[in-house]
Amino acid sequence: MSQAVISVEHVSKRFRLQFRGMRTLKSAAMDTLRGVWRRPDRQLWALQDVSFEVKQGECLGLIGGNGAGKSTLLALLAGTMQPTIGRTRVAGKVSSLLELGAGFHPDLTGRENIYLCGSILGLNKRQIAERFDAIVDFAGLADFIDEPVKHYSSGMYIRLGFAVAVEADPDVLLIDEVLAVGDAPFQRKCLHRMDDFRKQGKTMLIISHDLPTIQTISDRILFLDKGRILGDGAPSLIVEQYEKFWRQQNKGDLRSEWGTHAVELTGVEFLDAAGAATAAYAGGATLRARVRYRTRGRIENPVFGFSIGDVNGRLIHGSNTQIAGLRLPAIEGSGELCLRMPDLALGNGIYLFSFSVHSWDHKTNYHRIDNAFPVAIKTDRVFDGCCYLQSAWDAGSDGGVGA
Amino acid sequence: MRALIEEIFSRHELLHILVVRNIKIRYKESVLGFLWSLVNPVLLIGIYALFLGILGRIEGKSFEILVTGVFVWQYVSLCLGDSAGTIVGNANLIKKSAFPRLILPFSMVLANLVNFLLSLVVVLVFVLCAGHIPGLWLWLPVMLLAHVAVCAGVSFFLAAANVYFRDVQQVTGLLTMAWFFLSPVLYSPELVMKSGLAPWLKAAFFLNPMTGILCGYRAILLGYPLPPMSDMALSLGMAALILILGTLVFQRLEKRFSDEL
Repeated sequence: MSQAVISVEHVSKRFRLQFRGMRTLKSAAMDTLRGVWRRPDRQLWALQDVSFEVKQGECLGLIGGNGAGKSTLLALLAGTMQPTIGRTRVAGKVSSLLELGAGFHPDLTGRENIYLCGSILGLNKRQIAERFDAIVDFAGLADFIDEPVKHYSSGMYIRLGFAVAVEADPDVLLIDEVLAVGDAPFQRKCLHRMDDFRKQGKTMLIISHDLPTIQTISDRILFLDKGRILGDGAPSLIVEQYEKFWRQQNKGDLRSEWGTHAVELTGVEFLDAAGAATAAYAGGATLRARVRYRTRGRIENPVFGFSIGDVNGRLIHGSNTQIAGLRLPAIEGSGELCLRMPDLALGNGIYLFSFSVHSWDHKTNYHRIDNAFPVAIKTDRVFDGCCYLQSAWDAGSDGGVGA
Repeated sequence: MRALIEEIFSRHELLHILVVRNIKIRYKESVLGFLWSLVNPVLLIGIYALFLGILGRIEGKSFEILVTGVFVWQYVSLCLGDSAGTIVGNANLIKKSAFPRLILPFSMVLANLVNFLLSLVVVLVFVLCAGHIPGLWLWLPVMLLAHVAVCAGVSFFLAAANVYFRDVQQVTGLLTMAWFFLSPVLYSPELVMKSGLAPWLKAAFFLNPMTGILCGYRAILLGYPLPPMSDMALSLGMAALILILGTLVFQRLEKRFSDEL
């Protein structure tokens, strides 16, 4: 039961950047001429001395920023690339959902593509014929299966790709950001299917940027950065480590800042209930933020605002002093304001705060700092989505469900 | 090499599906469809016959030499034309799934072989109409094998090289034309053998496997005498060598296809 299905031993992968893309005889000749003495080898180590094992039936999540080497790692395990140094070993049949529908030919019909794709994944014709109905059914494409796939919508394309890959019945399933594509019903279908795989004791490797989901699915998470393993362990532990790392490293990604600077926001400090500085809150806790400002001259009736967004830049909540019914008198010099949010209802994850100060009529924007202040939320409440809303169930008054 | 053959054989169903795909896609949404593989060489023969006729060079046997030559060459020419795109044009497949890469150019060569075999029927009808009784049937499989070996070997090489140097696809047209004139497609080999060329050049003529292959096909179809066995052996040996070298180069280069695409 618990022997290693995948083993990766001291694997490094180098890409030679100059060789990538269109290379011509001329450039090769020039390189050779120059390279007699010194080789201008611009190279990138996508993976550096990576070692780990995955046991039978284990679901391993891979997280890390862009360029961390996650996809390269899956490509090595899928066998489409060779490691520069080291060794990978995978026992059993591998099926990869690296890019859904990658093998499809636009001019062939859905039916022909199922056979082509299934065959590339290593099924023989009899096996494909047996699974054909299940594939079409799962993809929900019975009416279109004899149409060329170039007439499919992108959603249909992806559904068919997923259906073929999962029906290939692999021992090891590699999944690269599949959860990010497709609509909500399709994503649910994928998750459901992955759950089935787990129950069958199959091994999975999943890349996702969707931390809450990967935390729930995985038995173990590997955290990669710049081609090295920074963390390997229990999902909650590694996600926490990753979020902390993320806060320190790339908090500036979505950050933007503009305004006339007639009033300047000079600092924001997040405080816990005891008044100590923090950047992490438990669900239901009270968040306090101290906003400091400095003015040039006297400013009549300024409005201070804030908003909360997720790491993808999506707005979750925003408000300001005007909406809250707080009419500030004129301000001058330095000062501070305190924002208080009782009973935080946000779900697990990282959120970015934005702060702004503008004129009463909204025409002049003095200073605005967007997505610059990350805050982590860790909640024990169990629910779907990014916000916890009060809800309750009642049995029907006419006797209830079981009547 | 042996492992490779076993691997390809174990994926013969994939190979089969890819061959069918190649044939289907080539003629998809064209009115004449498959007939194009016959119409093309017939038109080509028409053009050559017209110009050679104007130049007064069509006499006696030259028309049947032309017909057999153009049909046999058509297979080589189609393979060379398709070869450069077989890996580069399937970048998506290569990067996303693991399977023996050689299957891609090989399926192209086999798809074109199907075309060639069907066009051979047309040639046969022509030959019978011209009053020839084909013979030497035992030589046909040998010629077909050598023919496929040459097409495959060169295609493997070009397909792999094009991943690293995209110039290859620009050069293949020119290379094909040069090879066309160096091979006795439009002319009979006697033209070279009886010319005043240096003896070592005449000896080198059969180093081009297409020389022996064209002679072999004409011996079968038109009842021409086979060239000396030493010359035929030279051509057939070269065909085998080309296949082996092409495969070895391909195997060496395929390890980094995913990195380069």
